[in-house]
Amino acid sequence: MVKKDHAQVVISNSDQKLVLSLLEHDQLARAKKHFIPRRHLKGPELLVLWALRIYLLFMMAVVGYQVWIAVR
Amino acid sequence: MSVGSQSPQMTRTANGDEVVIITHEDVDRAHDRVRVSAARAQHGFLSRARLLWLLVGPGVLVMLGENDGPSMLSYAATGAKFGIGFFIPFVALTFCMAIVVQEMTVRLGAATHRGHAELIFDRFGPFWGWFSMIDLAIGNFLTLITEFIAIRAGLGFFGVRPWVAILIALVILYSALMSHRYWTWERITLAAAAFNLVFIPVALMTHPDWHSVGHALLTWQPLPGFNKDTLLIVLADIGATVTPWMLFFQQSATVDKGMTTKDIRFGRFDTVLGAALATAAAVATILATAPLLAHGMTADNFQAAEFAQALQPLVGRFGASLFALGMVEAGIVAAITISTSSAYAFGEVTHKPHSLNLPMGEGKSFYGVLSLCAVAAAAIVLIPGLPLVYVVLIVNVVAVLAMPPALVFLFMLVNDKEVMGDLVNPLWANILSSGVVFLLTGAGVLFGISIIAPSIFAALGGK
Repeated sequence: MVKKDHAQVVISNSDQKLVLSLLEHDQLARAKKHFIPRRHLKGPELLVLWALRIYLLFMMAVVGYQVWIAVR
Repeated sequence: MSVGSQSPQMTRTANGDEVVIITHEDVDRAHDRVRVSAARAQHGFLSRARLLWLLVGPGVLVMLGENDGPSMLSYAATGAKFGIGFFIPFVALTFCMAIVVQEMTVRLGAATHRGHAELIFDRFGPFWGWFSMIDLAIGNFLTLITEFIAIRAGLGFFGVRPWVAILIALVILYSALMSHRYWTWERITLAAAAFNLVFIPVALMTHPDWHSVGHALLTWQPLPGFNKDTLLIVLADIGATVTPWMLFFQQSATVDKGMTTKDIRFGRFDTVLGAALATAAAVATILATAPLLAHGMTADNFQAAEFAQALQPLVGRFGASLFALGMVEAGIVAAITISTSSAYAFGEVTHKPHSLNLPMGEGKSFYGVLSLCAVAAAAIVLIPGLPLVYVVLIVNVVAVLAMPPALVFLFMLVNDKEVMGDLVNPLWANILSSGVVFLLTGAGVLFGISIIAPSIFAALGGK
């Protein structure tokens, strides 16, 4: 049995069949309400992520400094 | 089975029947897929060509979208400052880097049917997800401002008032959205993006020295001097081809288009085709402005479309008009794709409907975010007296600096067997993408050294 969208858009039987035959199950908009299981990050991965985060913040400060110098 | 391959949303009625919930968005996507299925079922050259026509889109759009206002400015400044030489093959190399990176987003989108922001949030948690979103939101908004500056400057060449220029851009942006169909939006935006190639006839009008072009492509010479200016142009040219919004946009567009693992081959072709077209337009811009070598033009000469004006004695009013129109196109297409990328990302992290197939009533938050980003950036450009030239000058540099953290998330996702199944990154892709991360990080570190420790930069050979 196929239920129409809760927004009450009328979906014909032929469209319902079309959707079910052509789209993969996880392509359906409502299937995306499922969360993908969380992965717990390990030591080396966290190290890389933090290192890059610090790198980015530091470099943004450098860019800000350069703009400040240019504006002055 | 990958984590993306889940059962459809099933609910049970009072009498115990299982039901599948189908939305308007699904129906539109299925109608697009009918044509793909029909073309795939046939054999022969024409049906292959039709299949390709149906499946190209996200790759061409992302590559031509990235040939945006600040990018074309970077290429124009490159040509005017360094002429024909090292930067011709260098720009081609940066697009090869873009292919390596963007191909991974095609595979990720086709394998999981999830957007990039959604995968980062779900898989690594909101802590890292929000970092990633903040990077994207800041980068996208700064870039959007520069797109409207490009539009204002380009149309300013024809005497169009700034507020009229901005209004024209917003009307075009909304015209593409009004169909509420991904397919129509994609084709309208592709048609607009095709105008990026107007830089090619402008380059031909300057009668480039093809012998020098061939020599530069083969030998990467003459080399520019190793100094701060060169480094800034190197970073700006890299930032003109690989940026975080591209990752988010192409993956989301791949999902919205309904591409599956069967379409990955065409997705790759789409990406390479887009990169080839964008390289042609970028190199053409460098060639077009190379005769300005003696004029002392830099990226500062942007807000009043000075590049088009400076080219006028060389290519005539028609050629200069094409150049200015190219700037307008670059700004409009990027404004469309970047604001869409922001709206996709917002919908993905909040799990609200996010598709260009949504009718206005069902996609209020999606269209609302898209409009808010575009209108806010457009409004800022109209505020008199703001030193926006600095935004234009740093936006590509910021993109390069923000890219390594974004790439590491992508790298982790495409190597995640639970997410990708059999489509995990092969060794060669890991080597290439690691190379891109090291190159971008190295360029960023060198830039930082040149600013805060000029003596160390000088010791490294810089001037």
